[in-house]
Amino acid sequence: MLRALIRKELLALLRDPHALAALFVMPAAFIVIMSLALQNLYAPPLRQLAYAIDSAKDSPAARRISATWATAHGSPRPLPATPGEVDEALRQGRLAYVLTLDASLADALGELDPPRAPVVRLRVEPGLDQGAFRTLQAELAGAVGELRAALLQASLTGESPRGSQSILPFMAVEQLGRALRPVSAVQQNVPAWLVFGMFFVVTAISSLFVQEQHSGALARLAALGVPERIQILAKALPYVGINAIQAALMLTVGCALMPLLGGEALSLAGIHWPALLMMLAATSVAAIGFALLLACLVRTHAQANTLGPLCNLLMAALGGIMVPTFVMPGLMQQLARLSPMNWGLEGLLTVLLRHGDVAEAAPWALRLALFGILGLALASRLFSRRITP
Amino acid sequence: MLQVRGLHYRYPAAAAPALVDFSLEARRGEILGLLGPNGAGKSTLVAHLAGLLQADGGQIEVDGEALAALRRRTPGCIAIAPQDFAFYPMLSVAENLRCFAAASRLSGAAARQAIARTLAATRLEDFAGTRAEHLSGGLKRRLNLAIALLPTPALLVLDEPTVGVDPQSRAFLLDTVRALAASGMGVIYASHYMEEIEAIADRVVIVDHGRVLCQGSLAELLAQARGHVELQLEVPLDAAALKALAGEIDGRLEVAGVHLKLELAADASPVAALARIEARGGRIRDARFGRHSLERLFMRLTDTRLRDH
Repeated sequence: MLRALIRKELLALLRDPHALAALFVMPAAFIVIMSLALQNLYAPPLRQLAYAIDSAKDSPAARRISATWATAHGSPRPLPATPGEVDEALRQGRLAYVLTLDASLADALGELDPPRAPVVRLRVEPGLDQGAFRTLQAELAGAVGELRAALLQASLTGESPRGSQSILPFMAVEQLGRALRPVSAVQQNVPAWLVFGMFFVVTAISSLFVQEQHSGALARLAALGVPERIQILAKALPYVGINAIQAALMLTVGCALMPLLGGEALSLAGIHWPALLMMLAATSVAAIGFALLLACLVRTHAQANTLGPLCNLLMAALGGIMVPTFVMPGLMQQLARLSPMNWGLEGLLTVLLRHGDVAEAAPWALRLALFGILGLALASRLFSRRITP
Repeated sequence: MLQVRGLHYRYPAAAAPALVDFSLEARRGEILGLLGPNGAGKSTLVAHLAGLLQADGGQIEVDGEALAALRRRTPGCIAIAPQDFAFYPMLSVAENLRCFAAASRLSGAAARQAIARTLAATRLEDFAGTRAEHLSGGLKRRLNLAIALLPTPALLVLDEPTVGVDPQSRAFLLDTVRALAASGMGVIYASHYMEEIEAIADRVVIVDHGRVLCQGSLAELLAQARGHVELQLEVPLDAAALKALAGEIDGRLEVAGVHLKLELAADASPVAALARIEARGGRIRDARFGRHSLERLFMRLTDTRLRDH
């Protein structure tokens, strides 16, 4: 009996192109689109930004700082002829930024005392994002600092420094667990939209459930003596399989498709597989429990088709699916912890980025499982009310 | 076979009970017509028979055994063909039958035989592979019936089984129901189509506001309105003739233009009444005696006012 009812659920899903699109195409498309769109948020393309250098005096110091900058950011564009044209080029975004080097650059950097006025200016176009702006600011401070160190050494000791004056050899930067590769948009977006997609089983489950209520098919099954627990189980179990297929598909999109589209590849090397499976299973339990509860609450197709997606969008917006939580202010980060999607995302990030094991991911998995079980319990209580006339 | 005695049920928060002291009996090999307007309590009774509602009072028994106990033992003993198309439109006819056969605890060869039997009984063999959503209204009604027949029930309850079907499908469904009753199955046929009940039912129960208003064999019920005559004349009678007729006819006369309605006294002859009308100059174009009497009885019992539900 259970097998026949599961088969009915799967056939109904397979013949519903909208539900299939919501479950498989939408999250995959979001992974591709958002990973490519947000690529720059995680790695600002500073080398691609058009810039110009306005050097008031052709001094060795100015040439040196220009050369250092060109090595990291490519060749500068020609400087517009007048200050007004420079401003217009910035305003229109034809130039992303302009470095202005004062005539007194070399003298000021070689003095022990600070200058009376800045000798290097960074002027950026109005639309430059904060991430790129702060990175440029930091790189410029580093370049000016290196040049000042060299000039001071020369003036104090009378000797020119040997070799590069870069500060980088003095320091090492390491992001724990990912010494070789910083966090990319793909690594944020694959788990985020996978969780989002898994929760979208709500539309398929509640749509068929409403149809069964209205047609009397549920009542007919009950009249034939099909126990409620079998009916609920027959609705839940197929979607565990659907969630598993979603997970395999989304991870494949991240690992194999994204590099072909010019994005970074999702790396699964070194992850703790049991922890990943535990997180996927817990997310599936939460998604299905929530979907069944909502299916038992709605009464019409209109409610089923709006309430489920609406709840999903709210949980996604709040939970860091659409906007990563690390860019949120403190209060919003605390609120994000209320969203079950955030639990799924944080748990998957723990496994995929931090290479966490079962114990480290368990707190997130436990929350998800409890949420799912609570949803199933409430759905079971409401189920009989949906059968009776 | 089926005994419903003093059934009482009120929906939660409802102002009035849906069933009040409701009693009826259905027998094997017999079609019991359950006639009532919308909201009369027919579907509530069907829900009780389906085991979907628990009565507040009264008993339902099948051959002396409480229905609830019987349903636990053999859930398919009473099959319901609901008013709605209670199946899956995205599944084919055969897929629907396989699903509900499994729900009826049929598997393997037994399920295959049941499916073949019901496909044949409802003549759906040629549509086994067609998705239910692509079937016509009549074919959907037949699928609804086929699903009900899967567990070979002792009692079949049909709730408005011919709504929205063409005359051919209606005739086929009625023939099928007659054949099922002839095979020994008990049938409860709930409808508000009087002509169907007249055509098919051995006994009739008229219900309204959750109460049984009257019940008996069709002949017994029709006998209650035996003196009803409807006439249509070629031209209206003049006032003098009508006044004279009112005194001559043993019964009550209603006139609306060329249409006359007579409610004759118990022993009065319709032949004598027609003769008096002709004697007063009335040229009769059409006369009906004993037809539509179930409808008149129904309307008289259930009130002719328009229902809001």
